[in-house]
Amino acid sequence: MTLADRIATFRATLEEWVRGLYHGMISHPAYEKIEAEAEDAEDGFMLACFPDAFGIPSPVSYYTAELLPYLEDEYEAWERRLWDRQSVIERKGHQYHF
Amino acid sequence: MTEFVFFGGKGGVGKTTVSSAYGLECVGGGLETLLVSTDPAHSTADVFDQEFGDEPQPVEGYDGLSALEIDPEQEVQDHLQGLKRQLSSQLSAAMVNEVDIQLEMAHQTPGAYEAALFDRFVEVMRTADPYDRVVFDTSPTGSTLRLLALPELLERWIDRLMDKRERSIDLYEKAAIGNREPRRVMDGDPILARLQERKERFEFAGEVLRDDAAFYLVMNPDELSIRETRRSVETLEDAALPVRGLVVNRLTPEPEPHEEGRGARYLRQRVATERDRLERIEREFAVPVVATIETRVEEVRGSILEEVAAELEVAVEDEGSVQSR
Repeated sequence: MTLADRIATFRATLEEWVRGLYHGMISHPAYEKIEAEAEDAEDGFMLACFPDAFGIPSPVSYYTAELLPYLEDEYEAWERRLWDRQSVIERKGHQYHF
Repeated sequence: MTEFVFFGGKGGVGKTTVSSAYGLECVGGGLETLLVSTDPAHSTADVFDQEFGDEPQPVEGYDGLSALEIDPEQEVQDHLQGLKRQLSSQLSAAMVNEVDIQLEMAHQTPGAYEAALFDRFVEVMRTADPYDRVVFDTSPTGSTLRLLALPELLERWIDRLMDKRERSIDLYEKAAIGNREPRRVMDGDPILARLQERKERFEFAGEVLRDDAAFYLVMNPDELSIRETRRSVETLEDAALPVRGLVVNRLTPEPEPHEEGRGARYLRQRVATERDRLERIEREFAVPVVATIETRVEEVRGSILEEVAAELEVAVEDEGSVQSR
């Protein structure tokens, strides 16, 4: 193995480590956290749109029903998140990386 | 410029009679007129002895007069069916059932009926161009007042919804660090587009109600009717929709002076009480009494309707304002 090869291997390893470190420390928790926040906001939106799903009558549910054909992904994800969510602490705990 | 005139009031005071008579008066004044009944128990058909449907239909025997009866029940069903069709063409089979339940629920909430009625209201207002005057014969006080206060309430709701949606999309976009694909994008979001469209409709309705609409309350000279009218005036005022005038219907006719006997004495006494009440109405209400109509022995229809129309002084002052535009 030539010196040039060894330097190249070293640089490749270093690059991988740096990328991993950056991903783990900065980009991953950041987007995950923001995305969780976005999901929370979306849950708020869905709840405001369809409170009658929980037996709360809403003056606009007649109109928000019109949104349903466009809300396939959101609706499914919303339901799943509601099943998953045992407590607020459990949900909020996700954002911390111990 | 189309002007919209609403007649409201307690049940059974004769709103249909008064609004039909007013419609005739408008036609007499050379205005192309549309009479819209929003009362689920339609009686325009009885007044004109003709069946009316969901679309404007010319009234036989009166040139320039059309009528239309809104059936909220039917509107709700149509809305539901339309959405269901859209669902099955856009959603995967697994989701259709889930969403179907939600849809059924939304159409059974207490507000659905009003929302449907309101929708049709707005539709009538938007397509009112061929008419100079649209006369609404509304359903009894409570539900109509709620209906007319809707645009503002709904606008606020839609605003809140749009705000929430925007915030979540914004966060999704921010979460897409680097060259990741965001889960939702703001541009061309169908939900936001749909909400915006709704919002514009409500704004339109609110504007029309504030700028091009006149409200009249029909009442009878009795205690209950006076009280309910007072409440209605306040409610409408609160919604920034001031009442232009009161129409007092079903006044007892006075017997001839030479007449004596039980019937005549009864009538005289009634007339005296009603005169007191009428004076009280004129004194206590800030809204002027624009017409008083005597009660009729028979049902008001046909030629009697024209007599009633002649007693109405509502139209005269309004035409002036229309023609001066």
